[in-house]
Formats: sequence, structure tokens, C-alpha cells
Amino acid sequence: MLEFKLPDLGEGVTEGELVQWLVKVGDSVNVDQPLAEVMTDKATVEVPSPQKGVVKEIRSKPGDIIKVGGVLLVLEMADSGATAKQAAPAKTTAPAPSSPSQKAAPSELKAPAATSSAVAKSANGVSAQEVHPPVAQSHVLASPGTRRLARELNVDINVLKGSGPVGRVTREDVSQSGGSGGLESGLETYAPAKTGIPRPAFTGMGGEMEVREPIRGIRRKIAEKMQLSKHIIPHFTLMDEANVTELFNTREKLKSKMEKTGVKVTYLPFVIKALIATMREFPKTNASIDDEKQEIVYKKYFNIGFAADTDNGLVVPVIKNADFKSILQISQEIVELSKKARANKLAPDDMKGSCISVTNIGSVGGTYATPIINHPEVAILGMYKIQDKPVIQDGKLASIKTMNFTITADHRLIDGAEAARFLKAFMERIENPGVLMLDLM
Amino acid sequence: MANFDVCVIGAGPGGYVAAIRSAQLGLKTCIIEREKLGGVCLNVGCIPSKAMITASHFYHRVQHDAAEMGIKISGKVSVDMAQLQAWKNSVCDRMSGGVQQLLKGNNVEVVSGEANFKNATTLTVKSKDATQEVVAKNFIIATGSRPIEIPGFAIDEKLVLSSTGALALETAPKKLVVIGGGYIGLEIASYLSKFGTEIVVLEANKELLFGVVDKECVQVVARKLKKIGVQVVTDAKAKSYKKSGSSVEITYEVNGKEEKISADKILLTVGRKPNSDQLNLKGIGIALDEKGFIKVNPKRLTSVANIYAIGDIAGQPMLAHKASHEGVLVAEVIAGKNRAYDVKTVPAVIFTDPEIASAGMTEEECKAKGFTDLKIGKFPFAANGRAVSMMETDGFIKIISNAKNNLVLGVHMVGPEASNLISEAALAIEMGATVDDIALTIHPHPTLGETMMEAAEATLGHAIHVIQRPLSQRKGPAAHL
Repeated sequence: MLEFKLPDLGEGVTEGELVQWLVKVGDSVNVDQPLAEVMTDKATVEVPSPQKGVVKEIRSKPGDIIKVGGVLLVLEMADSGATAKQAAPAKTTAPAPSSPSQKAAPSELKAPAATSSAVAKSANGVSAQEVHPPVAQSHVLASPGTRRLARELNVDINVLKGSGPVGRVTREDVSQSGGSGGLESGLETYAPAKTGIPRPAFTGMGGEMEVREPIRGIRRKIAEKMQLSKHIIPHFTLMDEANVTELFNTREKLKSKMEKTGVKVTYLPFVIKALIATMREFPKTNASIDDEKQEIVYKKYFNIGFAADTDNGLVVPVIKNADFKSILQISQEIVELSKKARANKLAPDDMKGSCISVTNIGSVGGTYATPIINHPEVAILGMYKIQDKPVIQDGKLASIKTMNFTITADHRLIDGAEAARFLKAFMERIENPGVLMLDLM
Repeated sequence: MANFDVCVIGAGPGGYVAAIRSAQLGLKTCIIEREKLGGVCLNVGCIPSKAMITASHFYHRVQHDAAEMGIKISGKVSVDMAQLQAWKNSVCDRMSGGVQQLLKGNNVEVVSGEANFKNATTLTVKSKDATQEVVAKNFIIATGSRPIEIPGFAIDEKLVLSSTGALALETAPKKLVVIGGGYIGLEIASYLSKFGTEIVVLEANKELLFGVVDKECVQVVARKLKKIGVQVVTDAKAKSYKKSGSSVEITYEVNGKEEKISADKILLTVGRKPNSDQLNLKGIGIALDEKGFIKVNPKRLTSVANIYAIGDIAGQPMLAHKASHEGVLVAEVIAGKNRAYDVKTVPAVIFTDPEIASAGMTEEECKAKGFTDLKIGKFPFAANGRAVSMMETDGFIKIISNAKNNLVLGVHMVGPEASNLISEAALAIEMGATVDDIALTIHPHPTLGETMMEAAEATLGHAIHVIQRPLSQRKGPAAHL
């Protein structure tokens, strides 16, 4: 028997959320066959089997937060042939009681609609594994009240380290553990008990007019990161309209050349280049606040995050050291990272260390937005759609291309005037792409 | 009748508690009962048997202990069984009436009749006068268990009694054969013996209360049974009986040899089985385990998404307090709270003479779970001032702890008021207390509770009121006392 534990996934990842099992009890698996999808800090990785064997027991279920070193499943080694055979029947003994009358039941119901749907999806048998958080194991030392608190805060008490005598888990251990199913990687500072963010219940109409589903996976991460950011950062947003006719013409001119290289070049790489040049001029926009130490951290590197819309929700891949990369290189990276994001295959590293983020909803629509800063960054740049606009130039009617930009900043560090100067400097660059040449290295 | 949020089936200690908590949480609740409110526990189980046991204990002490205390009784002390039954019934009625008041006060609708599932959201309830349908969003099945019969012994409550029949006896039989030396058989055997019935207990296992109770505790009770004249035959398998006149002749087998014994009546107490063959559970797809218990998850949800099961019908241990705990838990689950059955121990109490009570693991269970390094301490009631002054000195409290960290793993006691003393042990185990925590808690003097503190001290090797060899002179980590 081999207890297969969640391996160290690198990058300081201490835990992951089990997204789904790719095997089931009784399955034979080969070395390196993916066993499960585990999500860490927005990246989903497939965890491969270390051995050839038969899956004997599955210890976690989708949605569980598993610490590195926590047991995922139990494998029976392939070389113990006799026992491996025993494992196989487990497949067929899975409970599946489903009598004809049970199926027939919903049609003859007089009950409220809500219950008929409940009956229709009636569980096939019941197992001890299906409650979340799981029931406290016998080794857990905690008073009944503490165990209940953990359940109410959705904390799995089995994975908490008790600070009390003989390893007893105290109420404080539970309330400081985060209360959302365990600690999320990279979000150690976020705990409702500490920040006091209330978690009110929602009492709706019930019934078939509403559907409930647990907040899981990327949605949970987004919810927590956004709430954290809005909770900590006093946001404000400045908006302006840029004349991007020259940028438009430049891109049109370069388009055919660039496409020979097989890479689609959008406006985003140009915006990133203009942004980096402006950040150099305004160092406060390339900084973070260390709240614990009450210090401002100024950065000498330029990693630019860009918001990517996927079927699962928002993710922010990062172009590392974008100041050292050409527009073509940046374009290439954007394409690759976007592809990975859509396939839910971003590695934790792909989303780490962003200094500032760019959100581009111009492709969808809208004139302006007030984005939320990607904490611990202190600003986010918004870019919107290109429009034709009539203007009076030299007393004559002319048509120009315009694009709206917003800068949303952390007012603790960046004052309104500073942000206005930043936006003005950025607009000068984006309106005159030639100026970008000055920053070329 | 429709639009109930919760319909509870069965008004025993699981069901009525679930109904009250559901109503407290604002859920529209009804409860269905085919017999009396309070179920087996209040009407033909825990409560009436305790009334009978209290009376017999009182009677026994008047006869045996009063004189030594200087209490002179002129004339013969006797028992009026009819009056005793009347008093016992008044106790039950008072409790059952209390349940009715509580249900009414919480606006729980009480429906009398026999329930059957029509489908997963509709019950038909048949009473003497009418049949009606009850529709609810959620159901809680709390219909309990009933006595097991064995081949050759059909319960007729005349010659072959169940506990229900035994509790209702208007006269104490001259001679009674009790088949099954479990806790129900022994409780009834003890009190009838004190009322003058000659008792023979036939136990199929090699000892009484087999397998579930600390062996040393059983020995104390076995000794007392012998003293009051109860005859115990172990390894005895009851085969059959036949009527002869107004009495019966029972055939049983011991060590391959057939024996016969005659008696007035037979009491059959070989265990209980869940009432899962009723209610049309199979028809609506509720899964049962191989022993007939409804399969439930830690939220006590069955295989049908809106139906829960609690108490005896949902699995071992078949104890009223487990059912009540589950009742509260399920009501809160239905009200949307995150709850699960998550207890460290279900304490057990047996009202033999003296009483046995336990919480946590026995020594055997500890070893089976891999706790090999144990510290076990014992303190006798004979060294406790209150027990001596009560003239009830039989028994002891035993604490089993993990030698590595002194955590309390199990507490087993036999002696006066053991049933009332065990709650402290249950709390200690639930809280994850160490033996030191118990020893360092001041227990008031002079009380039986001091025995618990002293047992903790004994576990640590230095009880005050018994002489223990200093730990330094003892060998091995698990130096038994």
C-alpha cells in the first residue's frame, strides 16, 4: 500500500484545491498517469501517479483543500498481484440503489416543486465522505463547541494545527484559519475573522426559482482576491480619451509585416510599452504596500499582468520583465498565456509577481469602467474600444480614432493629482507612438 | 395536510426532540405517532424501568440496610404491585404529557396514526377513524426498534414476555427465566428478584453484558446478582419451551448437553432490531445496510435527498440520548446550518445493582486502535466518604489514559449513581481533557464525584485515599494498580 501525498508543487505553494478525480477506486494506473486535477493559486495542475498500481481508496473529494503532504489516495502496488486482484471488485460494489418506484415518484408528486427536484436528484446510496467539511477524525483534539465553529466557518478541523496543550485545536486556531475551507495560497493575510468582513446568509424564495451551488475553484479565488482588494485598498479611478489615430496607423502599417511572423499583434503590447515608460517616470505606480511592516516597496522590475476572460472566470497571467521584451515577443507571450488560461493550464508561476495589471474590455464594449486593483499592486490600467470620432482640426472637420483609458489607483500611495499626471504622461506616449522610440534599449 | 417544512415520523426521544428544534428554528413541523408520545423510552422503556428499579432498590434497602442504620420497622414490609404499577404509569403519563405540552407550546402539529410513504414527499397516515395524506418538504424517520424474537419463543406477553410485558406485570411471578443477559434483561431481572421472583438468566455468551462493557465492571454486578439470588447460566442456548399447566418448561443447551428448567414465565431480552420493514421504505428507495439499519451519512441524510433518519433505526448504538442528539442535529441541517454527527463518545449507562456507566474506549478497544502505552488508574467507592455514608460501597471508577500525553481515552465505572457520574467523563473526552485536568479540578466534598478526581490521581500514580506504591518503584509505563 502506498499513501500518495500531494507533492510539493513549487513556488511556495502550500496547498491546493482538488478540482476533480481522473481515476476512481478500483482503477489500475500507470506511472505518470494523471490521477487528479489540483488547483493552486489559480493554476490547475494534473498530479501524476508515482507508481503503477490499483487505486484502493480515495481520501478527498472535489472542493477539498489539501495541504502539501496531505494524503490524496491510497495505491496498491502492482507487484502484489494477489491483493491487486481483490481490489478490482470494488468497482462493482459501488452502491447504486435506484428502484423503479423511486424514479416514478416525482411525476405523482403533489408536493411543492422544490422537493420534486430534490427527489429527482436523489443520492445513490450514502457515504461518510460526502459532508463538507469532513467529520473530525479521532486524533483531533477540540471541544465540541470548537468543532461546531469549524464546521460553521467551513474549516476542515482535521488539517488544522492545534496551538493548545497536547495539540488541542482552540477556537482561535479555527477562527484565524480563514474560514473559507482552509488557507488559500498567497492569501495568508486574508481571514474574515481578522478583517471582520461579514458573511451574511442569503434567504431567498427557495424552490425551483433558485439554484444553489458551492463557490469553488477559480470563482472562490476571484471572490476572495476581489473582496480582499476592495477591503484594503481605497480605490479611485480617473478617465480620459486619447487620440490614437497615429497608433492605429502605425499598427496598420506594421500589421502585414508582423503577421508574416505568425503572431497576431494587438494594441495591448503597445499599451504595455507606453505603460512601462510611464511607470519609470512615476515610481509610485510600480510599488506595493507591506501593510504588516507599514512600508512602501518600490520595484525595479516590470512584470505586467493582463486580465484574461475564460469560461471559468477571470485570471491574470503575467508577462515577466516586459521592459526587456520587444513588442513582438510580448505579443507572442500574450497569445501563449491566453491559450493556457482558456485551457485552464496556467502554472502558478504564470500568474505570480505582477507589478501592475492592464484590463482590456474594449473588445467587448463599454466606454469606461472602474476596475478593481489586483492586490498587492497599487494601480490598474483600463483600455477600451477604438472609435471613429469627428473633430474640428485647424478649422476643418476631421475624423480621428479615439480610445478611452482609465487609471485606478490606491489612494494610500497615489494621490489624485499624481494619478492625473500619470495618465497625462501615458496618453502623450500612446498618442505619439514615435515617443516610445525614446525608451528603446 | 400539506406544506409542512418538516414531518417527523415517530415521537420517541429522537423524533420529539427533532420536532421541537425544527419548530424552534421557524420550520412548519408536524409529528406522527401511532402509539403514545415519548415512544418506547418514556412509555415502555427507560422511564418505567427506572421507576420499577427505584422502587425495588428502596424496598431492598428497607429490608437489608435499615436495621443497621437503626431504623426499626414493626410489622412486615410488603409490596403492593398494583399500586406500584399505578405509580409507575403516573410517572410515564406525566412524562408523556410533558412532551405533549412541549410540542403544543412550540406549535408542532401532532398527528395520530400509522404512517406509510406514498412517495418521497407524501405520507399516508392511517388512524382508527380516517386516512389522511401528509405532504412535507423534509421527513425525519425516527421510528425506532423493537425486540428481537428467537426461534421457538414467540412473544405473546403472557408466557413469553418482552420488556414491555415484564414492566406491566401486576404480580411478581414466582419464577422467571430470562433469556439474554444483556442490559435490559439484567435490569428487569434485578428488580424482579428484589420483589421476590426467583430468576434464572440464560446467557448465550461466556459472560454477562458480553463484549460491550468493561469486564471488571461486569464482575461487580455478577457478584451482586449472586448475592440477591439471581442464578446465571452462561454459554446457554435456549431451544424451545412448552406449556405445562400454568407454567412453562424451557429446554436449553449448555456445552452440548440439553437441560430443562421450569418457570412461570419467560422474559425474552436478546436484543432489538430496527423497524425498517415498515413505512414502505423500500418502495421509495431508501437504502438499508445488511443489518436492516437505514444507511445515513454524517448529516443523517438517507439515500433519498429530502429524507433523514435518526435514532435506533439509523444505527448503533441504540440509545435514547444518541437519538436526541441526532434529532437536534438534523433539525438544524434542515434549517440550513452546517452540522454533522461528530461526537467522540456516546456514554452508556446500565441500571443494574450497582449501576454501570462508561464513556470512551475499553482497554481492549484502546489496544485495537493502536494505543498500546496506557496508564490505567482505579479508585474504589469503598474509600469514598459519601459512598460509605450511603452504605453503598460496591464498585469503582477506572480511568484509561494515553501514557504519552495523559489524554483520557475511556472511563468505566460501577457503583452508586454511576449513571449520574459518567457525564463528567463524557465531557472530559469530548473536550480532549487530560487526566491532570480532572485531578486538578476541585471536586466538592463529601460527594461520590470525588471518586472521579481520585481515580484521576490514581492514574497519575498518587491517589490520596488509597495506598499506592510510588511510581519510582514501579516497573513499566502501564503500571496497573
